[in-house]
Amino acid sequence: MRSWDNDGFATTGTSARAVIERAQTSWLLVPGVVLVASVFLAPFLLLFAMSFWSQPEGTLLVDPSPTLGNYQRIFSDGFYLRGLMRTLWLSVATVLISLILGFPVAYWIVRRARRLRRLVTALMLLPIVCGALLPTLGLVNLLSPLGIINGSLRSLGVIDRAIPLLGTQFGILIGLVQAFLPLMVLPLVAVLDQVPRSLEDAAMSLGARPAQVWRRVVVPLAARGALAGSVLVFCAALTSFVTPQILGQGKIATFAAMTWQQASLVLDWPFAASLAMVMLMLIGALGVSVAVLRRSLGQRL
Amino acid sequence: MSRFALPAFTALVVLFTIAPLLVLMFSSFDDGRFFRFPPRDFSLRWYHAAFASVEYRSSLLNSAVVGLIATGISVTFGSAAALGLLRGAARSRATLEMILVAPLTLPLVIWAIALLQIYAWLGIGGTLWGLVLAHATFTLPFSVRVMLATFASIDPGLELAARSLGARPWRAFARITLPLALPGLATSAALSFFISFNDVIVSTFIAGSSWITFPVRLYSQLRGQGIDPTTMAIGTMIIVSILIVVGLTELFNRRTLRA
Amino acid sequence: MKTSRYSMSAMVCAVAFGAAASAQDFSGQTLVVGTWGGDIERLLREHAAGPLEEMTGATVEFLLGGSGDRMAKMYAERSNPTMDVTFQNIYEAPQALADGLVVAPDETSDIYADIWPGMNNGCYAMSLVGLGIAYNKDLVEAPVEWADMWAPEFTGMIAMAPYPSSEGDGLLGVAARLEGTDEKDPDAAFAKVAELGPPALTYTSLDEVFALMDAGEVAMAPMISGYVLAALKEWDNIGFSFPTDPGPVLVRDMVCQVANSPNPELAAMFIELALSPATQQAYAEEILFGPTNSKAVISEQAAADTINTPEEVETLLQLDWPFLIAQRAEWTERWNREIMGQ
Repeated sequence: MRSWDNDGFATTGTSARAVIERAQTSWLLVPGVVLVASVFLAPFLLLFAMSFWSQPEGTLLVDPSPTLGNYQRIFSDGFYLRGLMRTLWLSVATVLISLILGFPVAYWIVRRARRLRRLVTALMLLPIVCGALLPTLGLVNLLSPLGIINGSLRSLGVIDRAIPLLGTQFGILIGLVQAFLPLMVLPLVAVLDQVPRSLEDAAMSLGARPAQVWRRVVVPLAARGALAGSVLVFCAALTSFVTPQILGQGKIATFAAMTWQQASLVLDWPFAASLAMVMLMLIGALGVSVAVLRRSLGQRL
Repeated sequence: MSRFALPAFTALVVLFTIAPLLVLMFSSFDDGRFFRFPPRDFSLRWYHAAFASVEYRSSLLNSAVVGLIATGISVTFGSAAALGLLRGAARSRATLEMILVAPLTLPLVIWAIALLQIYAWLGIGGTLWGLVLAHATFTLPFSVRVMLATFASIDPGLELAARSLGARPWRAFARITLPLALPGLATSAALSFFISFNDVIVSTFIAGSSWITFPVRLYSQLRGQGIDPTTMAIGTMIIVSILIVVGLTELFNRRTLRA
Repeated sequence: MKTSRYSMSAMVCAVAFGAAASAQDFSGQTLVVGTWGGDIERLLREHAAGPLEEMTGATVEFLLGGSGDRMAKMYAERSNPTMDVTFQNIYEAPQALADGLVVAPDETSDIYADIWPGMNNGCYAMSLVGLGIAYNKDLVEAPVEWADMWAPEFTGMIAMAPYPSSEGDGLLGVAARLEGTDEKDPDAAFAKVAELGPPALTYTSLDEVFALMDAGEVAMAPMISGYVLAALKEWDNIGFSFPTDPGPVLVRDMVCQVANSPNPELAAMFIELALSPATQQAYAEEILFGPTNSKAVISEQAAADTINTPEEVETLLQLDWPFLIAQRAEWTERWNREIMGQ
């Protein structure tokens, strides 16, 4: 895999000046890390502590004496774990589908679109522009039993009875991909833009077939963009609330829906916090197993 | 065959992505309070309502202000952090990278409730800065990830070459790397702005009464009254204005190229 | 037009509060009122916030959101509240009072006496609505009773609100009564609701239900009058029924003064204006929310669609809300499992 990651700055400079410069560049991290540490990590630590607290009967106020009760409740009960695992699987599937759909689109935008480029990029950005709610309701009109898809299939005589698309995992998946595809395409476009056209041309002139050029030249160079997009799509799908709630018609419990129910309706914050912590553990486990898989495949990916 | 395959595939994917929005735009012209297909009557009723509503105007303005400031912070901090990660000497790069992306992994609802508690202890609940910092934080990961990918794909040899020819480091960066990073910067800014602009959950808890944003207003009447079709009209107008801006820049570019 | 209405109400209020209140100057202060956006916000602005601003020189700002969000906000900001007044549901208000987050209604005040007896609970009662049945007129024949929801042909065709909610608790209360018991017998209630089959839809907005109900995918849904009745004027083939056996479940919106809030005096004045006949009449006429103030006079047309007399309240099913609140966490688990089948 070739990218400018272990960049020239590292290889060229062992001189004192280069070392100092690298140290100075590290300071650029400070504002971002301070922001995240104060506005995200502080509440996160509060939540972590809270996940060991409890809510005594008859009150919504919390009792901060430590207990493992919330975790016991999650692990002793398939309902919550099933919901978390289902959300993980939906998120991974969303990433894979977005990758398959998004890569060719990004490539086309960068290499072939020419005059249409800005327009198509803007169109791809639109789902993010409108937020989750309104496009999701638009999807309902498309997917419902009397929606446009079922309606057209029926009038074409392809089906007799409506295919249930709402209230299924498949319907949620369609909604998640529709909503978050831009998060895959846009980083890919930003990265592919940097890949010199000449590289592909050179490969072609050396007699490589288009498929080979893709596999050997384009894909490795775009891997960073794909990674960026995958992280964004994965997290967005994982914590997405509106889309799975409306398209799942409330029949399919997901991570965000369970957390919302506990945090905002039942107001059992310690339990909501522990759900979030268990989810983080599952993400961690997923990350580790992907890393192990990559290593065992000899880093071919 | 393969020459047409890629454009056709792209067209299908784009259509899939914008189909729900076409439905939305279409339904904003439906005269009824509730959308149904096919609509009974068409009218510009909701467009008139959109322009007449002071509340919508002020909340759209609030959303824009919050979104712009948060985007500014998110893109500057995010780009700086991405550079720091790539070119800095920090040993624990993976950990730092994880910390910077961490805000994406918690559902916003539970994070917002904890943040609200901390704001209340600090006495900054309901302030603009409290809200802006929250928005900057959950949009930061988008900037970091996109800028990491962008900077990593720019050949650092170019900047080094400029410097070996005597350019000062900052100048070399500004003249060489920055222009190459523009598409990435634009992407980060667009993602940050619209994600901030559309946020409901964090703003519902964190925004004070003086800073009610547009999505909060929309959502706060959703459960009781249902969707106000005015918001579909506003959504349509936002979409159309973006497309007009894109069209105009395109036209302008072509003129200048020809001249 | 607007100003004159404000000054009229302001005069009325000045008389009501007496010279002491109106002489006080609150200019520069901002009262924060948590409520729902849309018509409720508009009516409160016209009839309570506007007059209060005119009378005191203070500014009134609305904090918009759902009632659950406000409840969360109150608990999170307990150490340093930013809201002065908040509108909550009947299934939230008593808990907020028990946890010391709101000021108990002043039983010696005139406005307390004006509210129908028994309606204040935790906070002041703001409006009365009933949980009835919205139904597709082609599928279900009027008059629609609760028992009709259990007809075998409608299994799996009932839409429900997310749980916990007044709608969910109300349905459980009704189901228990159909089994000859009450909500204190959760086994009977849950078993009966489970017989409805998994809900056709769990809705978060009226738009979702009505679209599917219009299409015949959803036959019936337990829904709260008020907005639903106002919205149904747009749908020819959807009806709404206040059942009789048992009657509709009485649901109330409450208005609360937040404990230790920055502006307690203004908060009390705002609540008084919100409960005044003028505001309550507007609620009834425009959004069909029944008044709680016995002095409110409403048109015949509005009276037909609202719960507005003590006699009417008598026919409604009243649930033991403090009991239901105490069951919330456990019942949520049961709902997820037994009703949603998740």
